[in-house]
Amino acid sequence: MQLSELLGCTVRDTGSRAVGTVVDVRLSITGDLDDSPSAPTLFGLVVSPRTRSSYLGYERSEANRPMVLAAWLRWRHRGTFLAMWDDIGAVEPPVVRLRPGFHRYSAILRTD
Amino acid sequence: MNASSNTFPDAPRQRGRLLDARLHLLDRQMLDDRGVPVGIVDDLELSADAFGDIATGARSPRVTGLVSGHVVATRILGGQPPPSRLQTIPWRLVAAIGTVVRLRQTDMSFDALWVEHWLRDHVVARIPGGRHAAK
Repeated sequence: MQLSELLGCTVRDTGSRAVGTVVDVRLSITGDLDDSPSAPTLFGLVVSPRTRSSYLGYERSEANRPMVLAAWLRWRHRGTFLAMWDDIGAVEPPVVRLRPGFHRYSAILRTD
Repeated sequence: MNASSNTFPDAPRQRGRLLDARLHLLDRQMLDDRGVPVGIVDDLELSADAFGDIATGARSPRVTGLVSGHVVATRILGGQPPPSRLQTIPWRLVAAIGTVVRLRQTDMSFDALWVEHWLRDHVVARIPGGRHAAK
C-alpha cells in the first residue's frame, strides 16, 4: 500500500458527511534525521475542508513571508485540521472515515 | 498565523519529530552514499495495516520504504503506474533526511533513472558541449 492512495481521499464523519480532503500525511520520526532516522509512523492526516492541494506549507507553518501570498494561502486553507491516527476509523480509498467524536487539532506543524 | 486556521487546539505532544510527507519527503532527490543522484522520492510504501477498518487502539502504520520510478505519465494523465515501473527502497537504507534524502551504501542497483541515462548518452552527448559540465 502506498501513501499516495491516502492523498486526495475524501474524509467523512460517522454521519457520512464530507468534512474535507486529505492534503498531507503527518509522520512521526524518532532519532536524528541526519543519522539513520527510524522508520516514520503515521501520526495523522492533514485535512482541508476547502481545497485538494497543499500550498507550500503556508497553511500549517508559521511562515508569514511574503505577507500577501501567506495571507491568501491561509485564507484558502482556512479550517484545515489534523486528524490523529487514533481518530481514523477506516481507510477505504477514496474515502477515509473518522470515528465518532473525533477531534480536530491544529494543523500547524511546530518544529520546536 | 491567521486566526481562522488556528482555532483548533494543538495535538498531544509526541516523542520524536513531526514532518509532513508531501512537504518534507515526496519529490526529494535521493543520493547514494557517493552523492550520486539515484532517483526521486515518488511515493512511500506503508505497512499493510494502513488500510481497511482500523481497530481502536491499533498501532500506527509504519513507512517501510521509499518508492521511486516512472510516474510522470500517470501524474499528468492520472492512474497508477504498474508495479514493474516502480522500485521500492527499504527504509533501512535511509541514512539522512534533509533537502535531499541520502542513502547508505548498498549493493542494490537503482534503475529509476535509465531514461535520463539513455537521453544523456544518446541525445545530450551529441549536442556540442554536452559531454562535459558547464564552465
